[in-house]
Amino acid sequence: MSKANLTQNNSFLIDMTKCTGCRGCQVACKQWNQLKAEETEFFSGEGYQNPPAMSEYTFTRIKFRDYQKNGQNEFAFYKEMCMHCNDPACASACPVGAFVKTEEGPVIYKAERCIGCRFCMIACPFGVPKYEWSKGLPLVKKCTGCYDRIMEGLKPACVTACPTAISYGPRDEMIKEAEQRISRYPDRYINKVYGKEEAGGTAVLYLTSLPFDELGFKPVTMRALPSYTWSALRLVPTIFLTVGAGLSALSWINHRKDRLKAEQEQLAIEESVNPKEEN
Amino acid sequence: MTNHWIDIQHADVILAIGSNPAENHPISFKYIEKAMDNGGRLISVDPRYTRTSSKADTYAQLRPGTDIAFMGGLINYVLQNDLMHREYVLNYTNAAFIISDEFDFDDGIFSGYNAQNFNYEKDSWKYQLDSEGNALRDETLQHPRSVYQLMKKHYIRYTPEKVCEITGTAIQDYMEVARTFCSTGKAGKAATIMYAMGTTQHTHGTQNVRSYAMLQLLLGNIGIAGGGINALRGEANVQGSTDYAILYHILPGYLKSPTYDNVSLSDYNTMWTPKNNDPKSANWWGNTPKYMASLLKAYWGDTATEKNDFCYDYLPKRSGNYSFIKLMERLQGGGFEGLVCMGTNPIVGGPDAGAIANGLDNLKWMVAADLWETETSVFWRRPGVDPKKINTEVFLLPAASSVEKEGSISNSGRWVQWRYKAVNPPGHAESDAFIVDQWVKNLKALYKNDKGVFPEPITDLAWNYGDGHEPDISMIARECNGRFTRDVVIKDKSFKKGQQVPSFAYLQADGSTACGNWLYCNSYTEEGNMMQRRGSDDPTGMGFYHEWSWCWPLNRRVLYNRASVDMNGKPWNPKKPIISWNAMTRKWEGDVPDGGWPPMSEDGSKHPFIMVSEGLGRLFAASLADGPLPEHYEPMESPVANAMTSQQSNPAVTVPGKIDNSGKYPYIGTTYRVSEHWQAGAMTRNLPWLVELVPDMFIEISEELAEWKGLKNGDMVTISSERGSIEAKTLVTSRIKPLRVGGKMVEQVGLPWHFGFNGLATGGSANMLTAAVGCANTTIPEYKAFLCNVEKGGKTS
Amino acid sequence: MTTTQLVVNEIKGYHRFVKFLIFLVLVAAVASMARFIFGLGATTNLNDTYPWGLWVSFDVVTAVPLAAGAFTLGAIVHCFNIKKLEPLVRPAIVTGFLGYSLVAIGLLLDLGQPHKGWQVLRYWNLHSPMFEVSMCVMAYTTVLFLEFLSPVAEKFGWHLPLRVLRWLEMPLVVAAAAISTLHQSTLGTFFLIAVDKLHNLWYNPLLPLLFWVSAISTGMCIIIVEATSCHKWMGQPNEGVLLRTLAKVLPWTLGLYITIRVYSLLALSNGPFFDQPVLTLLFFLELGIGFILPFIMFTQKSVRNDDRRRVTAALLVIFGVVLNRFNVSMFGMMDPNQIYYPSIIESLVTIGIIAGHILFFVLIARYFPIFEHHPETVDYSIPDRLQKLDGRSKPVVRGIKAQPLKAGS
Ligand SMILES: Nc1nc2c(c(=O)[nH]1)N[C@H]1C(S)=C(S)[C@@H](COP(=O)(O)OP(=O)(O)OC[C@H]3O[C@@H](n4cnc5c(=O)[nH]c(N)nc54)[C@H](O)[C@@H]3O)O[C@H]1N2
Ligand SMILES: Nc1nc2c(c(=O)[nH]1)N[C@H]1C(S)=C(S)[C@@H](COP(=O)(O)OP(=O)(O)OC[C@H]3O[C@@H](n4cnc5c(=O)[nH]c(N)nc54)[C@H](O)[C@@H]3O)O[C@H]1N2
Ligand code: SF4
Ligand code: SF4
Ligand code: SF4
Ligand code: SF4
Ligand code: SF4
Ligand SMILES: [Mo]
Repeated sequence: MSKANLTQNNSFLIDMTKCTGCRGCQVACKQWNQLKAEETEFFSGEGYQNPPAMSEYTFTRIKFRDYQKNGQNEFAFYKEMCMHCNDPACASACPVGAFVKTEEGPVIYKAERCIGCRFCMIACPFGVPKYEWSKGLPLVKKCTGCYDRIMEGLKPACVTACPTAISYGPRDEMIKEAEQRISRYPDRYINKVYGKEEAGGTAVLYLTSLPFDELGFKPVTMRALPSYTWSALRLVPTIFLTVGAGLSALSWINHRKDRLKAEQEQLAIEESVNPKEEN
Repeated sequence: MTNHWIDIQHADVILAIGSNPAENHPISFKYIEKAMDNGGRLISVDPRYTRTSSKADTYAQLRPGTDIAFMGGLINYVLQNDLMHREYVLNYTNAAFIISDEFDFDDGIFSGYNAQNFNYEKDSWKYQLDSEGNALRDETLQHPRSVYQLMKKHYIRYTPEKVCEITGTAIQDYMEVARTFCSTGKAGKAATIMYAMGTTQHTHGTQNVRSYAMLQLLLGNIGIAGGGINALRGEANVQGSTDYAILYHILPGYLKSPTYDNVSLSDYNTMWTPKNNDPKSANWWGNTPKYMASLLKAYWGDTATEKNDFCYDYLPKRSGNYSFIKLMERLQGGGFEGLVCMGTNPIVGGPDAGAIANGLDNLKWMVAADLWETETSVFWRRPGVDPKKINTEVFLLPAASSVEKEGSISNSGRWVQWRYKAVNPPGHAESDAFIVDQWVKNLKALYKNDKGVFPEPITDLAWNYGDGHEPDISMIARECNGRFTRDVVIKDKSFKKGQQVPSFAYLQADGSTACGNWLYCNSYTEEGNMMQRRGSDDPTGMGFYHEWSWCWPLNRRVLYNRASVDMNGKPWNPKKPIISWNAMTRKWEGDVPDGGWPPMSEDGSKHPFIMVSEGLGRLFAASLADGPLPEHYEPMESPVANAMTSQQSNPAVTVPGKIDNSGKYPYIGTTYRVSEHWQAGAMTRNLPWLVELVPDMFIEISEELAEWKGLKNGDMVTISSERGSIEAKTLVTSRIKPLRVGGKMVEQVGLPWHFGFNGLATGGSANMLTAAVGCANTTIPEYKAFLCNVEKGGKTS
Repeated sequence: MTTTQLVVNEIKGYHRFVKFLIFLVLVAAVASMARFIFGLGATTNLNDTYPWGLWVSFDVVTAVPLAAGAFTLGAIVHCFNIKKLEPLVRPAIVTGFLGYSLVAIGLLLDLGQPHKGWQVLRYWNLHSPMFEVSMCVMAYTTVLFLEFLSPVAEKFGWHLPLRVLRWLEMPLVVAAAAISTLHQSTLGTFFLIAVDKLHNLWYNPLLPLLFWVSAISTGMCIIIVEATSCHKWMGQPNEGVLLRTLAKVLPWTLGLYITIRVYSLLALSNGPFFDQPVLTLLFFLELGIGFILPFIMFTQKSVRNDDRRRVTAALLVIFGVVLNRFNVSMFGMMDPNQIYYPSIIESLVTIGIIAGHILFFVLIARYFPIFEHHPETVDYSIPDRLQKLDGRSKPVVRGIKAQPLKAGS
């Protein structure tokens, strides 16, 4: 549905085998977007994870997995953010088109359009859009893909801050790079580029050494989500016309019957009694 | 660092031991991962399973304070299996040197020990000399008194079983480390060691580093690409501050600070200028008199002349140990009237911090120059004291942060990079240079007007950095580089008065040069400020980037790089040459060589380790306070007896008070850092974005200990030691595990040391628990191993 | 006596149940003020895990099918020409109009940017089910409003509009049915996008169809319940005979629903289905008690012809649909680790909306001719003063009496 050339979309390749969990990205994002710090207590999750979830104040977050597997420690880190889907559910769901998949890659949000129905939040398979619950007239908040930065020739803040794990570039190149890494280091990676097909393809791609479900990735469909609703919605004009025309015809026929009957009756009456005019 | 950050990518094996680069040197991981992408293997040796460990191919757990045992075992493994780089060891180290017959080692004590003073007379640790005064050598390495044989004998005791009994490491992990790391003793293979505070913060910290260096020398890993022994320096510019003598025992450029018995400059020079008769030894410190004279000229300018010993008398002389721990002891004894705390927060960062805080109560005044109000500057407000009873007058000078002022910053790889001012400091904040400049100017005026007992060192001080509000930083940088004080001809080159000295090779002892720091000579030449360069050419592809900023010494990117080639100047690893000898041009190519002399096989050559007097890497080092060969001792507080000898702890360290090995405190405590906080915390505990990530003081404990103590994640506990007690939230994790040591299980707990009572996020300071006892050589406190107890509940729980 | 006094006196005369309703509405009004002052986060239990709660589930997703009586009956009466049911139409339209107006109010509270709600008309996103529903709801509310204008015009004797409305009646009925078909079903389409969120027991590609068919059934059941209550509590004539006719249609629609439901579950959905005991229970309650039981009941003549049993069966269907809508929009999407339950304010508002519905229905019935509507008795002729233009006959305008509320309940 978007005009963007999806192969050239700017995409994030996040290699979790290279992520050190330093959370530079998390802070850089807050700094660039001037987001408020959340009040936390101790840790909310495994390892040093904080805050408890992405929110109106937190567009990206490192999730920690701290556990033991076959007697070995696993300490894994994974960056959560908007996936900037090729065919975004949020954009298709929004009644006023406040979400837009840009040609450059980021899925951006036009706050001035938003009416605040939160359907985008229901629609997004990754649970990304968040709401300004603290406000009387709240808006939706989510990772902007640093659209403002990339339009000025910079890379997203989180990418710039990341010492090791994130590459950024055209989607086809990122996929190629990801696949090359898998074939070059087959022992290091699970043979899968997450995001290549998930939800119809996303502009955030992941590589990992641990199974994705173990890392807490939710299972998602491979089909672009908008297609699910569109398969019903595309019938709208047909249904409208069919129902409209059908009922009109039905009632026309019925009323014609009535009318004919009435006329006949009338005629009969007129024939039998010659009516007199009152007044 | 002998090497530099970018060079780490060339390593075949990276051993992160006593450091946690993923968390504390995040950018270094870029290069670690590059190395790993090229097939390099990462080994993490740490008591805790860290974010670095999570990326490692091999993780080996060890008990805090047992690195020497760990390394001794590896040295033994190399020697027993003949894995060393023989040609390198023979030619570039002192392995073949014959040691005095008097030298001895018996049950943990080296010869010459004086038990009263806790120190060694080192006479017996000497080389046997020939008639010319050169060390005797046995190239076959068979001589029983040769360094090689003595070393072999010393470390044969460090069998894998013994080592693991001490360190608590699982033996299969240990053997994997041994096999992987010691496979690099071949030409063409490189291993690097990245170490930091897990290594140094022990009563035997320097020996820990020594043990790493010895292993690297044996494997031929020093001077080469992807090799070296790399101290990951801490504070952003700590390299710069040590280069510029932040420590009490040195002057700028690591010149020794004069002791009370160095009465004259010639006394000083005699005492501190090493001598060596070997014509192949460059003995670079032999230049000490030149550097000292130039430094004095920089200090006192025209007043300093050959006749008055360049005002050597003006220099303060030291008469003891002025290390942090000693100064703090004196503070507690009421030994100081005032204290200047410039960018430091000792009642959070210092060992036995509670005692330091009490010591501050004795002060009449304190000046704190900092970006923030630190715990130290509000020590009178700390919990449990009555501010009314403290009479100290405290002045808090708001300081400008690093981005609010201009100047150089030196990184671990010795790169000195120029940093520009990005924004104006807020409010009344001023740069440290301004603060110091004002102090000096006012002091000078005071001494000039009111005289004093000995005003000249101050009134004569050459202090000319312009008349602006801010002292002119580039004038300071030029002075550090050095200039000619008169027209001279040196080595057939003539120089005009006032001209910048092109390199330290031109510094003179006769007063014709003035230089603030000989190591930085060449950083600001007639061509301009080298530190400002931003050229990104890499003609060799080896990542030297010689046109990017400047690096000491003389823009040399890898130290001891003459050890990266064989006798004929051919790189051990031709694929990754640091330097190589071009026989046609008779010049070295690649990095700036450690001296331009021809290869070792030719006449007129010099040994590669030019900073030690014998010119060869020291496998046996008589220069240390606590023995020429590293030997395992237990930390000052330890739950077990030394399994090696009956000498429990480092004999060269005085056992301090407030130590308890009685069993009252059963658990090993170790302190560490997290990525999310910085040091004593003022800079991060006041930043909401970082507080959000790690909001509270916590203690990491094993699942076993948690079960034993009935603790759940997030429970409040009280942790106590002989020094004091604090509260923290429990983080129960499988990343910390109890260790099997000498047949019994010992529990260890991990504490970040970033918290304090002041600021946005507050919490107990781990240093309330640590002991004020330091390394025999450096007095760096033993922050990494002490004993404590953990009990459920806290005042606030 | 001032107007205010008049109003106050009028209100004083109301039955105490009506006063109680007014009280509930006022409480809800205050509660909704709180939502704007303190924000959605502070006043509701909505959060990023539950962006939709009671207000969407009940005030929108459920209220819309409950208001389906109007279009269903309209179509039955006018298109299928079952004229004898005509007396039921007006109350149904009033219920529908009130229902949709209150949906709109519920939405305004729930929307983050209610002042920008109109922008749906400005920025079109044809791919959005929400757009579709918004447009339909707006259009349909307008239709209902126009339909509702008839009794108003009658009451005030607005002849010309009455005439126009009469003329519009057929097109409006057709439009109502078409629009309703779309948005009733599209409410189901909403949840088609919740692919991996909605539990398998409810997620299937025929959700839109199921929503539509169930809405039709509910529409009729609501009429049964409404007419029965009006008879019982508002002194209206017993329309039992008409309701019998209506009840005859129900086995067909319910049967159709059950067939599609079972078919979609067996053929179009993927398991696992019975992995969560609570959801399994809800499913069986919904389908068994809410659809299959009343289906069986409505097939029985004895049930259809008995006022009491008929209304019981109708109530069961309503229960089934309400539960179904909650299952789809709330329970089936619940995260077991973080249960949502509505806050006091959310509940008060929803209670207020329900109370408002009943209240306005009662008041409208009191002041407008909605029950005694028998079109053949209404004069749709042109008034006198316009006669000159027309020159045709001018009939008598029948007076309309306010309907007294029956005391007691
Ligand atoms: N984010 C962040 N980065 C920092 C700092 C900071 O405060 N925050 N501080 C900077 C400063 S000043 C410095 S000095 C450096 C310090 O950098 P590091 O030395 O890396 O810091 P630490 O976390 O103190 O200690 C490193 C590791 O040593 C382990 N360890 C403890 N005892 C032993 C032992 O006996 N043997 C071995 N092999 N390991 C042991 C600890 O478990 C810890 O994981 O970091 C610098 N970088
Ligand atoms: N238990 C335990 N204790 C430790 C350690 C450990 O591992 N364990 N590590 C030790 C180590 S390695 C170190 S380096 C020390 C560090 O100990 P400290 O140096 O006392 O700690 P910092 O928090 O780095 O203090 C630096 C202060 O300088 C201020 N500052 C920053 N920039 C500027 C500036 O430009 N000008 C001025 N005037 N001030 C500035 C900051 O706000 C901060 O308050 O702690 C040691 N303490
Ligand atoms: S991840 Fe969610 S919010 Fe982001 S583009 Fe995709 S659907 Fe939209
Ligand atoms: S909340 Fe705003 S952005 Fe999201 S779907 Fe509704 S109108 Fe669109
Ligand atoms: S792309 Fe920008 S907005 Fe999105 S997570 Fe990265 S820094 Fe934050
Ligand atoms: S900045 Fe990069 S390495 Fe650090 S946590 Fe984020 S993704 Fe991981
Ligand atoms: S804290 Fe500063 S010096 Fe350390 S890695 Fe990060 S950017 Fe570099
Ligand atoms: Mo440090």
